[in-house]
Amino acid sequence: MKLLYTSKTRLFLMSLLFSLAAPGLATATPFPEPGDPIAGAKVWADTCSRCHNARNPSDLRDDQWISTAFHMRMRAGLTGQQTRDVLTFMQDSNVPINIKPMVFEGNSVAPVVAQSSLSGVDVYNQTCIACHGANGKGTVPGAPDLTDAKGVLSQTDEVLLEHIKFGFKSPGSAMAMPPKGGNKNLTDADINAVIQYMQEQFN
Amino acid sequence: MKIIKRASVRVLVLTTTMVLSLPVLADEKYDKLEQQLQILQEQLLGVQQELKEYKQEVSTKEAQVEREVTTLKEDVAKADEWKHPDTLIHMSGYADVGYTSSSGPDGSFGVGRFAPIFHFQYRDKVMLESELEFLVDADGNTEVILEYLTIDYFLNDYVALVAGKFLSPIGQFRQNLHPSWINKLATAPPGFGHDGAAPTSEVGVQARGGFKLGGTYANYAAYISNGPELNSTFEDGEFELEGIVAEGLGTDADGEKVIGGRFGFLPLPKLEIGISAAGGKASVTAVEAGHGEAAARKFASELLSPGSGDGGGDDGFDLHAEQARSYSVFGADFVWTLSGLQLRGEYIQSKIGAANVGITASEGATWQSWYTQASYLIPQTKFEPVIRYTDFDSPHSSQDQRQWGVGINYLISSNVIAKFTYEFNNGQQDSAADINRWLLQLAYGF
Repeated sequence: MKLLYTSKTRLFLMSLLFSLAAPGLATATPFPEPGDPIAGAKVWADTCSRCHNARNPSDLRDDQWISTAFHMRMRAGLTGQQTRDVLTFMQDSNVPINIKPMVFEGNSVAPVVAQSSLSGVDVYNQTCIACHGANGKGTVPGAPDLTDAKGVLSQTDEVLLEHIKFGFKSPGSAMAMPPKGGNKNLTDADINAVIQYMQEQFN
Repeated sequence: MKIIKRASVRVLVLTTTMVLSLPVLADEKYDKLEQQLQILQEQLLGVQQELKEYKQEVSTKEAQVEREVTTLKEDVAKADEWKHPDTLIHMSGYADVGYTSSSGPDGSFGVGRFAPIFHFQYRDKVMLESELEFLVDADGNTEVILEYLTIDYFLNDYVALVAGKFLSPIGQFRQNLHPSWINKLATAPPGFGHDGAAPTSEVGVQARGGFKLGGTYANYAAYISNGPELNSTFEDGEFELEGIVAEGLGTDADGEKVIGGRFGFLPLPKLEIGISAAGGKASVTAVEAGHGEAAARKFASELLSPGSGDGGGDDGFDLHAEQARSYSVFGADFVWTLSGLQLRGEYIQSKIGAANVGITASEGATWQSWYTQASYLIPQTKFEPVIRYTDFDSPHSSQDQRQWGVGINYLISSNVIAKFTYEFNNGQQDSAADINRWLLQLAYGF
């Protein structure tokens, strides 16, 4: 009986220890949870430049952005969700700009005919507005004035598609626009839709 | 009839011959077929053998491919492993070098400072943060300061608990703007550096974070700390307060804690308005008597034990009976950004109450400073002009200073900045606070 009691006690203790350790075992999952990159772009545009020049996503590796984001959570008084959002935006945007896929004959970056499921204004308000502003004049240093008649929108749609799709750094600007504005879910059709919208709205 | 008989005989002979020759023909055909069958059997065996060998070969190759794929998967998993450890180790920080030329003495190159910041992070729960500051003084000696060392526990999305030595949450400049790659001029505004009106750091515990407030956000910091200590000086036959030492003291000489914090509100996404306050007690723990030390000792001894002539021994003044004075800080700050334009301003006031007991008993004193600054990154260029006005008032007129600082920055990148700053200083005549100077600085945030 004593032996049984001892065994049961051991079993209970082992179960208890396992249950206590279980959350620790669960730590094998990646962290932190992914945030919303679109909301993160807004946090980045609104918050960073209140104190310092906004850093390029490509300045650091993805893992380095984790500690940097948590450091900035402390400095800027961000919420946990804002921290995850801006971290996801920085990581998603952390790809070299102007890296184009190999173009074979008949496979160019010319505008595609496919229709976007989003309207141009939807794409603009979701992805572009954080840096370019509702009026197109730019809200962060380095963002060009889209209303300038001789500015970036005077270029051809093909050039604009290429710059948006693969990222672009304006001459003289200290920072670059990340590919697809940091929203990797944008399709060519979405980009064409937003180009049409910007041409109608600002040019 | 005879002819018919002959024909019948011939037919009979022929038939008999044919019948007799049939078995011979059948044997030949059988032999041929047997030979063909043997050949086919041999060929089949050959094919079967080849198939067997092929199968073995495929099986071997499959096993080899499987091994290679497994190895590859392990390699890929291993290669990706560094991205997802439970503990992250990260270093950032800043450094600057420069050249300063005053209207008085000749100019000199300066090392500036090297300030590495270390982060050790356990998942999204805990982070250890520490900033060291390496400086080279006028004699060439290297000085190391622990700017801050905290362990932060992220309690939830809205609260982080901080313990250790932390940058003072009062105002904006000390906690967020002092790094040289962030500060848009080469120097801190008078009153916001070390030994100024603004406290620089605290040792204690703090809760800080942010939360959504209606359609916008707010942030906060609340702390309890050891608080500052006071310096007193002996001038014109009496003691008076010299300064507040609010640089994160590791002991609390008077046992009186300071409680304070800051609340930041963002009525617009790019406009932040902050209010800060702190209150508690602080005592005089050091006396700077200078050339008047003998007189100061005599003065102190008369207070402690009239007629003894001893001010508290060779190792200093006896300050254990000094009265804890009231200590209060108030601050207000704002920052607004629009594209490349940034406007900011900050006011800080540190007030020490009077003391009636103790050898350094004296009137209270107030230090206050404010500045406002505008900077503008010229579109499509890397040039950023800056202008700042500061007014620092101290109880000591030799420290009072009004300053116009103008500068032009060149952003080599967003975190590497070359600055040219000119200061028009207006202070007590012939004091250091009255000397104009220009500074070149190259700052690197990493």
